Amino acid sequence: MSTARFSPFELLLLKSRSQVDTATLLLLGWVLVHRQHVSEGQRRRRLAQVTSQFRHGHELGPVMSIAHSQDLHAIQLAAEVVRKECSKERSLSVMHQAITVATDDGDISLANHYILRFLADLLNVAPATLGTLFQELTGQPLRQPEDPSRDAYWQAHDPDYYARKAREEAEAAQRAKASQAEQEQQQRAKADKQQEKQQEKKQKQQEKKQQKEDARRAKARAEQSSAEQAKAEKARAEQARQEQARQERARQEQAQEESRQRQQRSSPPPPDRTTRALAVLGLTPGASKTDVRRAYRRMAQLHHPDRFYSDSEHQVALASARFQRIKNAYDYLMQTY
Amino acid sequence: MRDLYQRLALSPDANDHQINSALARCPNSALRQDATSVLAVAPHRETYDTLHHTLSDIGRLRARLGLTHGAHWQGDVANDFSLPPDNAISRHDELVDRVSHAVSLYNRWRRLRGPWLLIAVFTVGAGIGLALGFALSLGLGLG
Repeated sequence: MSTARFSPFELLLLKSRSQVDTATLLLLGWVLVHRQHVSEGQRRRRLAQVTSQFRHGHELGPVMSIAHSQDLHAIQLAAEVVRKECSKERSLSVMHQAITVATDDGDISLANHYILRFLADLLNVAPATLGTLFQELTGQPLRQPEDPSRDAYWQAHDPDYYARKAREEAEAAQRAKASQAEQEQQQRAKADKQQEKQQEKKQKQQEKKQQKEDARRAKARAEQSSAEQAKAEKARAEQARQEQARQERARQEQAQEESRQRQQRSSPPPPDRTTRALAVLGLTPGASKTDVRRAYRRMAQLHHPDRFYSDSEHQVALASARFQRIKNAYDYLMQTY
Repeated sequence: MRDLYQRLALSPDANDHQINSALARCPNSALRQDATSVLAVAPHRETYDTLHHTLSDIGRLRARLGLTHGAHWQGDVANDFSLPPDNAISRHDELVDRVSHAVSLYNRWRRLRGPWLLIAVFTVGAGIGLALGFALSLGLGLG
């Protein structure tokens, strides 16, 4: 029981002589708002024309202003009323009106593609029926909506942008080529210098090696004469020291490895199947196994098809599809966790 | 239509800097190309955002009305814009509840003869006020 005030649409619905008509009016207004290239006056006239048979008995102005504000609660309420009260014939006529309002010649905005399909699902109109109705009313088949999340859509709709981009890229490539040639010249000069330096270094190293060799030979001769026990002890000490150093190094490496792994873990995980499966259960990434199990229990109780047994067959089918989806997500999570 | 924000693990109101770093991180080259030509170009992004908003609304409505598996809700759109099934209360039931609550309040008011009660309370209050004022002026006069 909420104590909020009645919203404008609720008041309208309570005052209306026919609730279904008012609700249908709002849904049609919602479609009209998403129609492009028409003025507000044309919208109102169109709505009045299509709904001349309605018995709601109030002004169209408030309905259109609610539709413009895209109030989700109002639209949900309207959808519930329409679904509850519409017979099969009435649903078809509402669908008919929605298509009329959405388009004159089959040219339909992207948002309305999805809104019309939502209304068709709401009113239980099959895809084939919707296609036929659309074809009859507009003379055009109902196509699949285009996809503005793809590169191909923008290549077709905004060729100017691609032409500009190609020109810029060509210029950049030319500039890059010029600078590359310059760099190569510089590098060649540098390489020559380096070679000379290296040769000098090599000579120096050879000389040094010779000196060391001599020194070693002299030392070896001296050591042979010294006692062998001392040498053995020294070797053992050396070995111990090396062993210790190796262990130290291994420990350091391990610590580095661990810190690197921790860094990898702290970076955001990719949006993969696990995230999606968690979202189906209404969880955020990072949920524990117990959370998953508890969420699954709750969801399964809420959406079990047996709960909808008393409703229509359609509702049961929808619920079992939802339940299957929840169960798949749960099974997947149980395998991976 | 896919939800590029979701696929790039971004929020829909991400700024250009966040989008660019997400694009640099994205391992899928096809998705990166699509997202670059949609989200990195201001007018394209505006168009995309409008439709994205409408589709999120429709996804929410479908979740609340139990229509997330309709025959017309398939493919990329259904994958990306279906919310988890919602257990929000039906708005129509809520409206009926509120109307019946309002009606019961009104009936109680009428049963208690509200207007008469209000007049009686007002009269009594005024009488007490007058009496107090009289007493006070008397006291002042004596003193």
